[in-house]
Amino acid sequence: MGFAELISQYGGRYLTALLTTWGMTAVSYLVAMALALVVTVMRVCPIKPLRVLGDGYVQVFRNIPGVSLLVLVVYSLPHLGLVLDYLTSVIVVVSLVASAFGSENFMSGINTIQVGQIEAARSLGFGFGQIMRQVVIPQALRSVVLPMTNLLIAVMLTTSLGSQVPLSPNELTGLVSTINTHTTGGIAAFAISALGYALTSVVIGWVGNRIDRRVRILR
Amino acid sequence: MTPETIEQTPVIELRHVDKHFGDLHVLKDVSLAVHAGEVVVVVGPSGSGKSTLCRTINRLEPIDGGQILIEGTPLPQEGRALAAMRAEIGMVFQSFNLFAHRTILDNVTMGPVEVLGVPRKEAERDALELLGRVGVREQAAKVPAQLSGGQQQRVAIARALAMHPKVMLFDEPTSALDPEMINEVLEVMVGLAQGGMTMVVVTHEMGFARRVGHRVVFMADGQILEEGTPEAFFTHPQTERARDFIDSIQGH
Repeated sequence: MGFAELISQYGGRYLTALLTTWGMTAVSYLVAMALALVVTVMRVCPIKPLRVLGDGYVQVFRNIPGVSLLVLVVYSLPHLGLVLDYLTSVIVVVSLVASAFGSENFMSGINTIQVGQIEAARSLGFGFGQIMRQVVIPQALRSVVLPMTNLLIAVMLTTSLGSQVPLSPNELTGLVSTINTHTTGGIAAFAISALGYALTSVVIGWVGNRIDRRVRILR
Repeated sequence: MTPETIEQTPVIELRHVDKHFGDLHVLKDVSLAVHAGEVVVVVGPSGSGKSTLCRTINRLEPIDGGQILIEGTPLPQEGRALAAMRAEIGMVFQSFNLFAHRTILDNVTMGPVEVLGVPRKEAERDALELLGRVGVREQAAKVPAQLSGGQQQRVAIARALAMHPKVMLFDEPTSALDPEMINEVLEVMVGLAQGGMTMVVVTHEMGFARRVGHRVVFMADGQILEEGTPEAFFTHPQTERARDFIDSIQGH
């Protein structure tokens, strides 16, 4: 089956799949960012058990392959009485993995802040929470736009884990599997999905660069 | 300074303070009292512990032994009580340490707004007045990186003053500056001293010490070796270490 046939027969489903990928990406990324922020604050807070917990979280989710984590979420959590639908399972897995990498990005952003600024804030009477909100997080956020842009692209690509479980509607990679079990789309079926990923990445990269240039901190 | 201006309780009192960095004994049984309105200049060779001494006063460096009292009250260990105490002690650093992501005006208002709960409008009015006093009012809308070192350090002084501190600590405030910018910062500090601010100044600027210092404290190897008026210290140092030190900073 050639491109023309694939488009005419599955064009609508490709579009739906692209929108599904975008939706999963957006939700996973927002959840991942929120988790990453919380975990990062834990990792730099004055309470040692929280720091250890935050570091442990990152080590665990950075080092487990997404597929393995998906198997665990889909097959093991029900034994603990937690049954998630497939879409939620994929989003949870992507968010957990991405939050570990996101926290590492934040940590490198925090490391760009001179320790003197923290001391200045402390000498003004700022508490830990105020230092985080007023000094550390705003600067860390602004210096990690580019790595976080890369992470957004990685999150989008990782939502292809959705092809390993039955989703309805399919996301981009899952749709390829579906098409290729019904017909012989072959490499062309992949190519159309790949184009969807690639174009989205280009746009994300472009927007990320623009944002970075606007918010970058003069030093 | 006349005896009548000295209040009974010193603003800052260090009693037998000890501090180690690992095996290094950086402060050895240091005792010092600073009274209201007094300008104390701390000098000494590098590594003598003078910066550490300055940083223990608001507990940026915790101490291992002894006691530090602020207006007779022991410095709290940590938490809100410590933060509240720090809010009353102004500090100016060698490397300015302005908040890089905020404007000059924000740098000066953040403390009063966040810590003291001053309404923003009022804090901004105060900040502009202070920035005017240190001569950088026109820079209020810029960010720190757009200012020269001397301007940044004057902003840092205004930031500390915005908290209406009881005492100002200066930790080598001119050491990171190009020579032509040192005087603009010293002028601001002289103005403060003449206005009656209580100050502890770690510096090598002898001219400053002579002009407004009430007392010079000479440190070496973590100990206070000499204390006296600037005139007496610089012209008749009592110890060998102090003589060497004065020679070394005057040597050319």
